[in-house]
Amino acid sequence: MNPVLQLDSIVKRFGSRTILDTVSMTVNAGEIVCFVGPSGTGKSTLLRCVNGLEQIQGGQISFEGTAVLPRSIGAVRKRVGMIFQHFNLYPHLTALQNVMLAPMVVHKEAKKTVEERARALFEKVRLSHRINAYPSQLSGGEQQRVAIARALCAQPHLLMFDEPTSALDPETVGDVLGVMRDLAKEGRTMLVVTHEIRFAADVGTRMVFMDQGKIVEDGDPRAMIAAPKTERARQFLSSIHG
Amino acid sequence: MTVDWLAYAPLILRAAGITLWLSWLGMLVGAVGGTGIALLRLSRWRILRLLALVYTEFWRSVPILIVMFFCYFGVPLVLGIDISPFTAATVALALHASSTMSEVVRAGIQSVGRGQWEAAQAAGLTPIQTMRYVIAPQAIRVVLPPSVGVFITTLKESSLASIIGYIELTKTGLLIRDSTDGGFIPLLALAVIYFLINYAISLGGGALERRFHIGRRLDTVGAMA
Amino acid sequence: MGYTFTLRTIYPYLGTLWQAAGLTLALSLLAIVISIVLGAGIAILRRSHSRLLRFIGAAYVEVMRNTPLLVILYIVYFAGPSIGIRLSSFNAALIGLSLNSAGYMAEILRAGLIAVAPGQFEAAHAQGLTALQTFRYVVFPQVFRTIYAPLGNQVIAVILASSLASAIAVDEVASWMETVGSTSFRFFETFVVAAIVYLVLCQAVNLGRLGIGRMLFRQGAVAR
Ligand SMILES: Nc1ncnc2c1ncn2[C@@H]1O[C@H](COP(=O)(O)OP(=O)(O)OP(=O)(O)O)[C@@H](O)[C@H]1O
Ligand SMILES: [Mg+2]
Repeated sequence: MNPVLQLDSIVKRFGSRTILDTVSMTVNAGEIVCFVGPSGTGKSTLLRCVNGLEQIQGGQISFEGTAVLPRSIGAVRKRVGMIFQHFNLYPHLTALQNVMLAPMVVHKEAKKTVEERARALFEKVRLSHRINAYPSQLSGGEQQRVAIARALCAQPHLLMFDEPTSALDPETVGDVLGVMRDLAKEGRTMLVVTHEIRFAADVGTRMVFMDQGKIVEDGDPRAMIAAPKTERARQFLSSIHG
Repeated sequence: MTVDWLAYAPLILRAAGITLWLSWLGMLVGAVGGTGIALLRLSRWRILRLLALVYTEFWRSVPILIVMFFCYFGVPLVLGIDISPFTAATVALALHASSTMSEVVRAGIQSVGRGQWEAAQAAGLTPIQTMRYVIAPQAIRVVLPPSVGVFITTLKESSLASIIGYIELTKTGLLIRDSTDGGFIPLLALAVIYFLINYAISLGGGALERRFHIGRRLDTVGAMA
Repeated sequence: MGYTFTLRTIYPYLGTLWQAAGLTLALSLLAIVISIVLGAGIAILRRSHSRLLRFIGAAYVEVMRNTPLLVILYIVYFAGPSIGIRLSSFNAALIGLSLNSAGYMAEILRAGLIAVAPGQFEAAHAQGLTALQTFRYVVFPQVFRTIYAPLGNQVIAVILASSLASAIAVDEVASWMETVGSTSFRFFETFVVAAIVYLVLCQAVNLGRLGIGRMLFRQGAVAR
């Protein structure tokens, strides 16, 4: 096995509130881990600790063998792509410029190389025709696919999605999930916070159920959906199944 | 030498009253004139709209100080009449306020939807009645809060009357400074008094804004004085 | 009556008008640059974690917005000698104008910073941009777009406000109007000429602003 990410009893507090309570887990290359759980249990916070958007108060995170610390965070961020619920595209840049910014500025790659790669990525997310549009001219689903292309263009070793379809109109959710399925087939390592149980069952290789800052259950998605081991997971899964 | 500053308090207080009166008058005339200009800006005739636009742009592109100079020194030469510093200052303040107020009032009138005009006309109201009973009561909500900002600007601008020799608050402070040791304590006192007056007015304006949930202080930008 | 408008009467004074206009321009431009820098400092204070610093920033803005520029100019001009510094008229005017304008600039810049969504900082950090790169490529272009129009208004406001420098003996355009007017008794003509100078300056700013705006902001590139 080849661990990409290791969380070793990490603790995250906001003031006196403990949001992540000694969470440990190991993510291996090629795994697609889907995080589920009630609102406010720390799923987003967990992802944000991995790339240093939040600082942890205890434990250790290591990414590809090196500890995630304030001083090494730049190197980690170069290899971790993040996709946000609200896309967070740069409004003053075109779709293409959004995708090209970090590779050129952070990775110092030549413009020509980056542009070639970016165009190929737009093909992949099926948006070649919108390459020169500004974010305000794109639908939510289109914006999220640009955001995925933006993350991919930096050639990350790990992709993190925080509820990528929660802010989308129902009819555009499918496009984004379609792109994510393609990425899964390529054998990428992905962490996905989602309420899309169908997606987790079809695409996920692993499902993590969190509640109140702890990992309550961790296992095969289909098995967990069919027969949750804990009462809390059973209640939660039946509530979102409808 | 020690100065009994408190002895000057009544003088300063009276001067503050004069400043308030001067600014209020300038603002009032300016608001009336500004409403007229706003109506011209919304007129059916293009030439009137253009004239009103030139009027507002002109007063907004010329410093009020030279307008005051002209009113005080120039108009008596041209018309052969005597003009007091008070009249000159009031006219200059009013001219300047009228151009800002015309924008405020125009925004207020435009904030009332077309449907309101149509409904009132359909009910048989004349244009003047429509203005009076339908548009004005709604527009006032939008007009009132930024008018407070215009008033504060006018009050600050009224200090320029001291330059043409009108004895209001600033001039009084300068005179006190001359008759004492020439230090800057009277000037600091002036700043404090102006600040207190304006801050009180702006707090009042803030209350208005909260009450009407609309509008914005207009002097945030483009109105240094 | 009997006053006839004859521009010819003030021809002899046009030489000094250029100098006066130069002073107006120099004073305004310098004050604008200085007040942008000061204003940026105050805008940053107002976003500080420390309550005290936030209060100082807010108090500065309120004081400057609610005190007449003329009084500020007198304080700067007369305070110097009282504490043993001799300031030239021009320098005193520049300081007073800059301090006052900084209060307005701070508000403009603050509004510009507020308009940048928090998610923008997060996205930039997540992509590994350094603080400096985040400012340069993500924050500044967005702030600039929001402040562009109010900044133009403030530039005009400073040009007009620079006329108050005549009160502390700076020989700029308003002062030219008063001096020439009272020596030649041609106040109508001097007023018209001075007004034209200010009109040209202000309208030049307006036109420049439109032109540069068209060039810089291509259609669609509006912040959400
Ligand atoms: N910056 C912050 N300061 C204080 N508390 C915070 C902050 N960010 C998050 N929290 C709190 O941490 C808890 C976990 O938040 P988090 O966003 O990680 O939850 P989540 O599992 O992603 O929930 P959701 O499904 O609603 O997105 C919440 O109670 C939230 O209020
Ligand atoms: Mg979340």
